[in-house]
Amino acid sequence: METKTGDPLIKFGLLEEVLNLARANSLWPLTFGLACCAIEMMAVGMARFDLARFGAEVFRPSPRQSDLMIVAGTISKKMAPAVVRLYEQMPAPKWVIAMGNCAISGGPFFYENQYAIVPGADLIIPVDVYIPGCPPRPEAIIEAILTLEEKITKRGRLRKFRDVKR
Amino acid sequence: MLKDNITKALAPLGLEQVADGDYAKTGYHLEVAARPEQMPAVAQAMLDQGCFLESLTAVDLRESFTLVYHFANFSELCRTVVHASLPKEAQAPTISRVYPAADWYEREVYDLFGIKFAGHPDLKRILLPDDADFHPLLKDFGAEAAND
Amino acid sequence: MIELGIEEKTYTLNLGPQHPSTHGVLRVLLEMDGEYITKAEPVIGYGHRGHEHMAENRNYHQFLPNMGRVDYLHALAYNQGYCMAVEKLIGVTVPERGEYIRVILSELNRLTSHLLWFGAYLLDLGAFTPIMYCFDDREHILDLLDRITGSRLTYCFYRFGGVPQDLDDEFITGVRAFIKRLRSRWPDYDNLVTKNVIFINRTKDVGVISKDQCVKYGLTGPTLRGSGIPYDIRKSEPYSAYPAFDFTIPIGDQGDIFDRYIVRLQEMEQSLRIIEQALDKLPNGPIMAEKVPKRLKPAEGEVYQAVETARGEFGCYIVSQGGIKPYRIKLRVPSFGNLSILPEIAVDTLVADLVAILGSVDVVIPEIDR
Repeated sequence: METKTGDPLIKFGLLEEVLNLARANSLWPLTFGLACCAIEMMAVGMARFDLARFGAEVFRPSPRQSDLMIVAGTISKKMAPAVVRLYEQMPAPKWVIAMGNCAISGGPFFYENQYAIVPGADLIIPVDVYIPGCPPRPEAIIEAILTLEEKITKRGRLRKFRDVKR
Repeated sequence: MLKDNITKALAPLGLEQVADGDYAKTGYHLEVAARPEQMPAVAQAMLDQGCFLESLTAVDLRESFTLVYHFANFSELCRTVVHASLPKEAQAPTISRVYPAADWYEREVYDLFGIKFAGHPDLKRILLPDDADFHPLLKDFGAEAAND
Repeated sequence: MIELGIEEKTYTLNLGPQHPSTHGVLRVLLEMDGEYITKAEPVIGYGHRGHEHMAENRNYHQFLPNMGRVDYLHALAYNQGYCMAVEKLIGVTVPERGEYIRVILSELNRLTSHLLWFGAYLLDLGAFTPIMYCFDDREHILDLLDRITGSRLTYCFYRFGGVPQDLDDEFITGVRAFIKRLRSRWPDYDNLVTKNVIFINRTKDVGVISKDQCVKYGLTGPTLRGSGIPYDIRKSEPYSAYPAFDFTIPIGDQGDIFDRYIVRLQEMEQSLRIIEQALDKLPNGPIMAEKVPKRLKPAEGEVYQAVETARGEFGCYIVSQGGIKPYRIKLRVPSFGNLSILPEIAVDTLVADLVAILGSVDVVIPEIDR
């Protein structure tokens, strides 16, 4: 599954770092809200929490035009083939964020006799960042986007240059 | 009074029981027991009184099923519940010719319990995937059928 | 896929489970004759999580969090319906202050649901600004609700017998300030949307639902009231503290999309009236009933409790056979009946009209799929 998350065929060297910086700061997510977490995903794109300042506000409806899939909600067994198909339709390089407890491990719906859901998005597609919560607050989603940026650029965030007292 | 009108309309159908319900305890004004074959006639009588179908569901009582129909009315408060006892492996007649709302409700009952409705226009699964081979709300549905 | 018939050429279009305008995972199979739809069949089940099966495997207290996830936009009303049904079964009365708090929080939640519908519906029609306004108003309410309940979206706040936490003074002043603020926003919404020529052309005389169809399909909620039938459970079958408040039920006259839109706007104003009256008349006293058993073993019997949510009538039907787990719980959700009318009113419309009609019926798919 590692090769499918977009190991490039041609290595550019130093240009790669610039390209990764560009990719990380202008992620285009796919509108993929399945259940309750979709509302918090909408809220993070709105005026108060404002995902646009991180470059990720342009939610594309078509998978062919997006490079980030935020799985927000429970994946039912009926929906699972559609999720895999959408993931395969996205062009590389692509990343996946599993948002909410349902996408991480089935959430509040996982119990012994559960017949209807897939307990976790990483059983069917490779996931890069996990956001716990039911539903996670919009600030947590912003933190996840920043963590993904760190993963793509392989360097820490700019805020390390400031004195942030923890 | 709507309750009296409904009682009068249901009288000629020869139902097992048409009794007053205890509203404070159960939320019903009228409790009716019928056989499944009488349901289309009961539904037609309720539609003529202007009632709408609130809900249609089933309960698995291990030796038999009970189909539960709830009717209510927009203009006057009167909730009627109809219990129809259905033996296992039997088919119930559809009421979707009278109430098109029952179309989806009966498909859901078929999906979750396996009860077939004779005369339904298109009885197929509605909530589970089309190739599922189990009915989850049966009392003997266990973990073996679920994990795959 | 093009199918050549003998008399007509129709083709099948799939409005897939992933679509920006289907409000969740709904799939509509369309058969089109050119630009016009000849047949529209909704396919549901992509969000089926097995709530009713979970109910049989959990005891009454453990099932409380599920109710917030059935319809997450008006979760407090679902909490209220379930709690009231169980309270009927075990014979517990909620004290007056508890009922008033439940009404205030449920009405605030109804406001968030209608505001979100308003914004998302206009986003479907192509307008990007109103949703920004609505979410801003909504965030104010969510801050207030967060103070008391601890959650922003999927509440699990009511308990059997009352509410666990009381309101504080900061909440009350915050709500009063918010009511004033929202009232000053109505002219903004009117000027932005209601008087907008494009909006009027897209919504007048589109998606008309007749009164006869309302009865046959069992519609409830604003979808029903837009067609002129004044049925609202808060007035027809009053529960909780609603008999003490003075509010009207807005209805439309033609049954088209514009009427349903106006009904929802006016319902928001009525909710503000209810909240104001509830804060003025808030009684002192306990918020939780005494002697509620920790391990519930209700007597044998069944109960049906109906509650008016933002989408229509939610009915909670519980069958108990005396154990600690319910024998059967059926959740009668309004969107299930409301969506089943789509195949009938979508015939001979354009795809853009179908999106407008689907949005005006205001469905939440996880509620339909349970």
